[in-house]
Amino acid sequence: MADGTPNWLHVEMEDENPHLTTLTSCMTLSDVQGDGYIRLLAADISLEDEAYEPSATLKVFRGLKIKQEQPLPGIPTSIESLYIDETEPKTPVIAVAIAESVLFYRHLKPYFKYTIPALDSDDLELEVWRKLPVVQADTHNALLESLKGIDHAKLSRKSQRLLQLTEAERPAFIKTHRDSAVGRVGTIVIMCCIKRVSSDANPPSHLMLATDTGHIFILEPQGFNLVYQGRTCSHETAVPSLLSVQGTYETDFCIVVATRNGGVYLLRKSNSEGQEIFKLSKPLTGLLLLPIDQTILASTMDNRYQCYSKRGKLLYQVQLESLPVCILPLTMTHLGITLVAVALRGGAVKFFLQRYQVDEFVLEETVDAMLYGRMGMEDHVLTLVTQSGQMIVKILRRVSRFEPRAEALAGRRLGASDNKLIDGSSILDKPKKSSIFVEQAAREKQQAKATYGSFQVELWRLRHTAARATINAINSSESTISGDLTHAPVKLSAEVCGSGPAFRLYLTVQNLSTFKMASNLTVLLHADRRHYAIQQTLSRLPSVLPGIPLRMDFEVVAVLDPMDKLPPSSLTLDNSLVRVMLMKAGQAKPLIAAAVTMPQSEAAY
Amino acid sequence: MGMLHNLADLIKIKKDKMTILVLGLNNSGKSTIINHFKKPGDQSAIMVPTVGFMVEQFYSMAGVSIKAIDMSGATRYRNLWEHQFKNCQGIIYVIDSSDRMRFVVVKDELDLVLQHPHLCNRIVPILFYGNKSDAEDSLSSVKIAAALSLENIKEKPWHICTSNAISGEGLGEGVQWLVQQMRFAMLSNKDASKAKSKHTK
Repeated sequence: MADGTPNWLHVEMEDENPHLTTLTSCMTLSDVQGDGYIRLLAADISLEDEAYEPSATLKVFRGLKIKQEQPLPGIPTSIESLYIDETEPKTPVIAVAIAESVLFYRHLKPYFKYTIPALDSDDLELEVWRKLPVVQADTHNALLESLKGIDHAKLSRKSQRLLQLTEAERPAFIKTHRDSAVGRVGTIVIMCCIKRVSSDANPPSHLMLATDTGHIFILEPQGFNLVYQGRTCSHETAVPSLLSVQGTYETDFCIVVATRNGGVYLLRKSNSEGQEIFKLSKPLTGLLLLPIDQTILASTMDNRYQCYSKRGKLLYQVQLESLPVCILPLTMTHLGITLVAVALRGGAVKFFLQRYQVDEFVLEETVDAMLYGRMGMEDHVLTLVTQSGQMIVKILRRVSRFEPRAEALAGRRLGASDNKLIDGSSILDKPKKSSIFVEQAAREKQQAKATYGSFQVELWRLRHTAARATINAINSSESTISGDLTHAPVKLSAEVCGSGPAFRLYLTVQNLSTFKMASNLTVLLHADRRHYAIQQTLSRLPSVLPGIPLRMDFEVVAVLDPMDKLPPSSLTLDNSLVRVMLMKAGQAKPLIAAAVTMPQSEAAY
Repeated sequence: MGMLHNLADLIKIKKDKMTILVLGLNNSGKSTIINHFKKPGDQSAIMVPTVGFMVEQFYSMAGVSIKAIDMSGATRYRNLWEHQFKNCQGIIYVIDSSDRMRFVVVKDELDLVLQHPHLCNRIVPILFYGNKSDAEDSLSSVKIAAALSLENIKEKPWHICTSNAISGEGLGEGVQWLVQQMRFAMLSNKDASKAKSKHTK
């Protein structure tokens, strides 16, 4: 890019330019002949000719020339080329998803047709179809009215068609379809491949199918069994529109599904029901799960290119000039990077390496479909199909390197202002509300009084229990010698000196044991705050050795009324107490709890 | 003595080993062409994609001993080409004339070769083989020359001929031209160096 030469070599088209109307999902690269030359396969959907029903043809290109054509029985949603087994020589199978079936072609010859399982239909609908052929034609209207009561999407296809018909056409339609099954079959909306195990050279794959009923299946294409069944999410209306899968079937895989409503869901091998990761207000135009960094890229209708983590956190976003039409991952193994190509309306195609735009070219028209991979003998070929059906082929130059431009990196370091602008309007990061939370919040709102009352009752009950336990603990250890046999027995004696209002309380702690040391002891004094003021109520004791008494003193001041210098009236002989507790660290229950009776205080002078 | 040596050079040029570089994209038929020049006993029936490069020795019809370096054309080995540019006297550039899609790649790689500093100031004859002339949609040599705009190569002698490496059609003619050009180039290079050395004296 630096030397002015483009990174992509433009392949000159021959005189007879192939005309192609297709989608990204309807193009694939495959070694159909098994000769090592990889051909481009595309479904050409012809919609222009008004006189005919829309039809599709599978076209096989060798290089730039159409070599084979095969009419398809319907409009395909997706075409995939996959290997189904390990047998040599490996021949790929082409899977074409049309409506509810997948058609398998081998050597471009029809080989198998798989139809996804039908869903159970409504009992009422079954009943209506049982009655319809036998009752009189004039009662049909009433029956059809009852059908209209059912959600239109939940009706079987023939019922839907019947409701559209005029009254005159109905009897004939009922007659021809009276015996066909009343099954509801979803339409395949997305099909993609998932490798069975990871290996380099053309590993066998499974097919992943997503239907418009929200189901996701993995089809094992050897025995045509469904080996995985998942749902986009619990509610029926989530119709998948985009899907991206990473991983291998045997070890672990991760599916990201975007719905038409803008929700993005994540499914795993272990979790077959999708969890919503994030929801966008604008519909998505493209969704990718990147292989290495496992981030989710989304391009949206509001011209943004956003990157999310699997937890739904917005990592970065880029504002685009116009609407992104399709996005495509370009894995460049020789460079060890994955670029993302974003085709914009107007004809620009931009290449992003993470958040940085590393390359760009502009075509004359909007690109509708893109395909990248090994084509022919060349490894890195980008095929683009424009709106008018022109096919453009670009080949990556061998010497191309993709690096973010220096100014982009510098701008980022300075905290680019335009980036901030976008960030401001991003989705608010609000906590997830669980159903139990919502339920409880609603109940609290309705019965606030009762909730508060019962909480208070429980709180008082708890306090009462705690107080009772405390009293019990203190009373049970009320003696002067500790009764706990596991520790050294300790004796506590107390002596009060002074005549008041300041007293001095002398405590003597004696270790009665002959060999054990009493350590980690604490003395706690407790008295009624209204009667006695104690400066230091807590004292940690040094280790008490056997035979040597430990003496300490505390100042206790009797509280006197400042006016008449008399002790408060609530002080009686019975409650003029200071409780002394001797506690050992790590034990909830005190070793000794003694009550020291205080003498009556003299009045202060 | 010196003059005698020069004379010997002139006459016994065939004693010299000429080194030819065989370039071209993968699957264009480089190894098959080299295989054709080898002695019938040494030829192999099955060709496999070359890994890295192979050095082959053969004698041209004029009896010149040629050392051909058969480079791999695979994308990941194409960066090895430039290491051989310094000590080669001629280049054979093989083109798959039926793979029209990759002409743009052929041209890009050719431009990279011609612009390389080890080649751009030397006279190195280039022979183009429009290979696979038997393929149904192969192009004529004139069309290939136009597609690759070979007329823009001014400072190096070049020649293009169609070939079919399997039958050997067209191969001999090309190599004959190349050997002749290499002789001229060697002589002119020698003259140039002689003139230079005289000048410095």
